[in-house]
Amino acid sequence: MPVETASMPDLSDLEAHSLSVSQLTLKRGEFVLREDISFTLNPGDALFLTGRNGSGKTTLLRTLAGFLPQAGGEIALGKDGDPAELIAWLGHTDGLKPNETLRKSLRFWAGLAGQPGSVIMPVLKALDIGHLIDRPPARLSRGQQRRGAMARLAVMNRPFWLMDEPAGPLDRAGRERLGELVAWHRGRGGIVLAATHQDLDWPGAQRLELGGGL
Amino acid sequence: MTGFWRILGREAGLAWAGGGGAAGPTAFFLACITLGPLAIGAESETLVSVGPGIMGISALLAVLQFGERSFADDFFDGTLELYALSNISLPVLAFAKVMGQALATLWALPLIGALGGMMYGLNAGEVLVVFCGLSAAIPALALVAGFASALSAGVRRGGLLISLIAIPMMIPVLVFAAGAGRAALDGDYDRAWATVLLTLAVSLGTMALMPFGIAAAMRSRLG
Repeated sequence: MPVETASMPDLSDLEAHSLSVSQLTLKRGEFVLREDISFTLNPGDALFLTGRNGSGKTTLLRTLAGFLPQAGGEIALGKDGDPAELIAWLGHTDGLKPNETLRKSLRFWAGLAGQPGSVIMPVLKALDIGHLIDRPPARLSRGQQRRGAMARLAVMNRPFWLMDEPAGPLDRAGRERLGELVAWHRGRGGIVLAATHQDLDWPGAQRLELGGGL
Repeated sequence: MTGFWRILGREAGLAWAGGGGAAGPTAFFLACITLGPLAIGAESETLVSVGPGIMGISALLAVLQFGERSFADDFFDGTLELYALSNISLPVLAFAKVMGQALATLWALPLIGALGGMMYGLNAGEVLVVFCGLSAAIPALALVAGFASALSAGVRRGGLLISLIAIPMMIPVLVFAAGAGRAALDGDYDRAWATVLLTLAVSLGTMALMPFGIAAAMRSRLG
């Protein structure tokens, strides 16, 4: 897949981190969804989480992000320090405010993560939404909103991308842009985990089948 | 500290632009103090004696309005997750968020309270005490409303829950803020200013402790 790294902004280098999960138990309330999940991801790796509705894809992502308590097993995310600060999150919802333009919102998130505002426009252009920078998300389509949220992942410059159904609202071109963005991130030593139902073509991505639901 | 100011600035901007800024709570406050004389009667002595109390109650109710959307929007649009993963510790973030929103939406309340005091026939010294009492009370009221808002984020009919959680916790602030005005009415300005300082003390205590409560409430809403 051609990766136009030239058009992407120069971000400070990502630190090389890895993620290792061993014998993790997934629980939703009192229900044990799945036991004994183990995998290891090194810089540049991508992992698809697949499985039927209710099989625990979202629960696994939320447990890794620390939103849900760990029910058993080990998660080693990053080296030391707060793992939360290594994760860029893209959930079911895009985390955009209906009246806050992409420019303002991305400036805020980039600034909070210590990145300059100059990284925003190249990322938006790479996602084909450069012309929408001053539009409030209330006047964007679902797919355009999702692209805006993808831009947030990129400008925050964090090593772990956790995505829940990233391609849901995207059209074919949008899925291609997503693939390029992910390839760019992996090329920089980032790690990507995506729960998905769709067939996404990310070269060399591993797959974790969580099986049937409850 | 720069992250703190970023959050505060963003939340103030969002509340200003998207939430109509100070218009909602201010209109509510104005409605309360205008309806007071219509219901109580226009005898000037009665109005003077109930003035500080009405200002206190109206401010409390106006701040409750503010709590309704404070955290619910974050819950539904996914901002809560992003905030939880930010490099700012959650109590600091919660404090910055509530203060930013309060600055954008509640700044007018002490002014309206002073205006209302004049309408009700309080003299200049009494109006000043009411103004300072409200200014001292509002940070505490906003944080309590924010706490209730965070606890009820994503709950259907959260507004009811917010009132039930927040009102009991707001009582001490109301007692002090309105008590300062009443002491001024009695001509006892030493007690009035001491009570304003007590209100301020409650506010400062709330500012020190409540952010931890709000952070815990935010975490619980993520689960």
